[in-house]
Amino acid sequence: MKVYVKVFASLRKKYPEVNDLKPLVLDIEEGTTFEELILKLEFSLDEIKIILQNGIKVSPEHTIEEEDTISLFPAIGGG
Amino acid sequence: MLDIKTHKDKVLTMENGYMNRWLKVNLTSMELSDFTFSEEVLRKFIGGKGIAVHFLWKYAKKLEEKGINLKEFDSLSPDNILIFATGPVTATKSPNSGRHHVMALKSPLTGSIGSGNTGGRWGAKLKFAGYDGIVVAGKAEEPVYLTIFDGKAELHNASKIWGKNSIDTTKWLREQYGKSRAGVSCIGAAGENLVPVAVIMNEEHRAVGRTGLGAVMGSKNLKAIMVEGDQKPNIAKPEEFDAKVKEHVEKLKENGVTGEGLPTYGTAVLVNIINQNGLFPTKNWQTGVHEEAEKISGETLTDDYLISKHPCWGCVVACGRKSKVESGPYKMSYTEGPEYEAIWALGGSTAINDMGAVIRANHYCDIYGMDPITVGSTIAAAMELKEKGKITEEDLQGIELDFGNSDAVVELAWMTAFRQGLGYWIGEGSKKMCDYFGAPELSMAVKGLEMPAYDPRGAKGIGLNYATANRGGCHVTGYTIAAEILGDVDRFTTDGKAELTKIFQDFTSLVNSTVNCLFLTFALGLDEYAEMIGPVTGWDVDSDELLTIGERITNLERMIINKLGFTGKDDTLPKRLLEEKMPEGPSVGQTVNLEAMKQEFYELRGWIDGKPTIEKIRELGLEE
Repeated sequence: MKVYVKVFASLRKKYPEVNDLKPLVLDIEEGTTFEELILKLEFSLDEIKIILQNGIKVSPEHTIEEEDTISLFPAIGGG
Repeated sequence: MLDIKTHKDKVLTMENGYMNRWLKVNLTSMELSDFTFSEEVLRKFIGGKGIAVHFLWKYAKKLEEKGINLKEFDSLSPDNILIFATGPVTATKSPNSGRHHVMALKSPLTGSIGSGNTGGRWGAKLKFAGYDGIVVAGKAEEPVYLTIFDGKAELHNASKIWGKNSIDTTKWLREQYGKSRAGVSCIGAAGENLVPVAVIMNEEHRAVGRTGLGAVMGSKNLKAIMVEGDQKPNIAKPEEFDAKVKEHVEKLKENGVTGEGLPTYGTAVLVNIINQNGLFPTKNWQTGVHEEAEKISGETLTDDYLISKHPCWGCVVACGRKSKVESGPYKMSYTEGPEYEAIWALGGSTAINDMGAVIRANHYCDIYGMDPITVGSTIAAAMELKEKGKITEEDLQGIELDFGNSDAVVELAWMTAFRQGLGYWIGEGSKKMCDYFGAPELSMAVKGLEMPAYDPRGAKGIGLNYATANRGGCHVTGYTIAAEILGDVDRFTTDGKAELTKIFQDFTSLVNSTVNCLFLTFALGLDEYAEMIGPVTGWDVDSDELLTIGERITNLERMIINKLGFTGKDDTLPKRLLEEKMPEGPSVGQTVNLEAMKQEFYELRGWIDGKPTIEKIRELGLEE
């Protein structure tokens, strides 16, 4: 199934071409979890602090659905 | 020619952590005098914002005794006072302690209390100059500036710098006195022109950003305050303090936010995450999704516009940015920023996608001394007024005031400082502007202060904080976003948000009284604050006492705004957020159910109709 992956901040060191306007389009197996996707993208689970599934925060064990937009963030803050 | 008076140098007993010396400047009589606070008062209010609130409360009562009606009282009259304050931790080895807090009894923008906190180095330099704080009262006959060098304060004729922007003012003063590292706080054209969105700048690009304190300074004919010296606060337990400083620095370096996110991308790193969550207010809060936010994001700023980092005094985080625009109509070789809030207001709310334009507009805010949040937000409100047919072509004088038009934002930014054309109304803030053009519902402000860059339809706690913050629509009074978006708290529920908001507000009151940087709280909690304040002052303080001090300060500030006429009905949000469902994106369909959170919050606070009860006042030791 097709999903769209966006990475932000320091995660772009690994994927410099990926951004909000140019997401990574991946074909993954049904039933894949976010944890599995993160490892497939060669990130460690520790460096991903926030996972959004279509803009809603989810845990790494959560299952990905078809056509999901997935946003991955390291620890960030500001104000 | 002005009668310039020099006060006598007088050394008082230095207490641990404090210089134990405050300067009172009466600009009407041109007299300078010293005073101090008792240890009892310092322990109750710490310093910074807390001590300023204590002073303002006493002062408000004095004005009332003189028969002055505080609700009618003119914020630009000589009777308003301006307080510059540091705390016991300021100017120590403790990280990020170069800051200071500024307050006025009344804000010219909102009519509520005037309050702002700023980075830079001025706070540390004030203590090195021998003072914990300055109270400025009255009004000078002609423009003046104040210097404090190693305990000696003097007033000077400012005719040579009146009219200069913040960069040139700072440069002139440093050159004039041969003090290239001195702290300079000053106003630009906006402050001189008494524009209610004016700020007080320091370090050229750091601002006491909100509630129009630059106009209060301008109303006093005070152009600048320059501070320098070699004095240092004494530390009660230096070895214990040094050990704790080392531990705190390590925690800050290890923390993902303060150790990597903020240093690498600055505060602008928030653009994408707030937009991905669908609460990045766009088109004057008509939606929470900006289709091209990527183009004005922290990542884009870092890749294409960043020169280098620029830390404040003693800072181990370094979120400040030196930036440039290499090409295009907004080309410029050097400026600083922009911060997340400025990017949002000037670029997000106005729906533009040109980072160069945002940087140029932000630069105008810096050099002329204006609050980019209020300026950008008010321009966005004007864009919606035009969209709804409330502003005519005649009002616009050729400006194409449409959402997404970068030129209009840049043009209106400088016009605001000089009160030109529609810039006059931008300078008055969105509340007065939208009232004037007959659409008050389009002002996205609380208590007259424009809300910052998080739509509470997508994070309910921040809505309660905006509604109840004493200075008006403000995020840094109680930054629940840290828990709701950047942490693990459910952002859509209202459950538990009253308690969350109260704790954030009270802790922040303490931080702004300490005085150091709020960003420390991403890595350090109340226990670490006890580990700073205890060894510095010699007091045996714990986290419970410190949180109570924060609560005391929040409540006394509330008692002041009650005197200024603000009650429970003012603790609210713009109708759009309460009634209009978020139209799209991840926060689609949401509104803010404020009332339930507010009642729970009042119960937790011990307030009725937005006012502390006598029981709460007694509990906090605030009864007279």
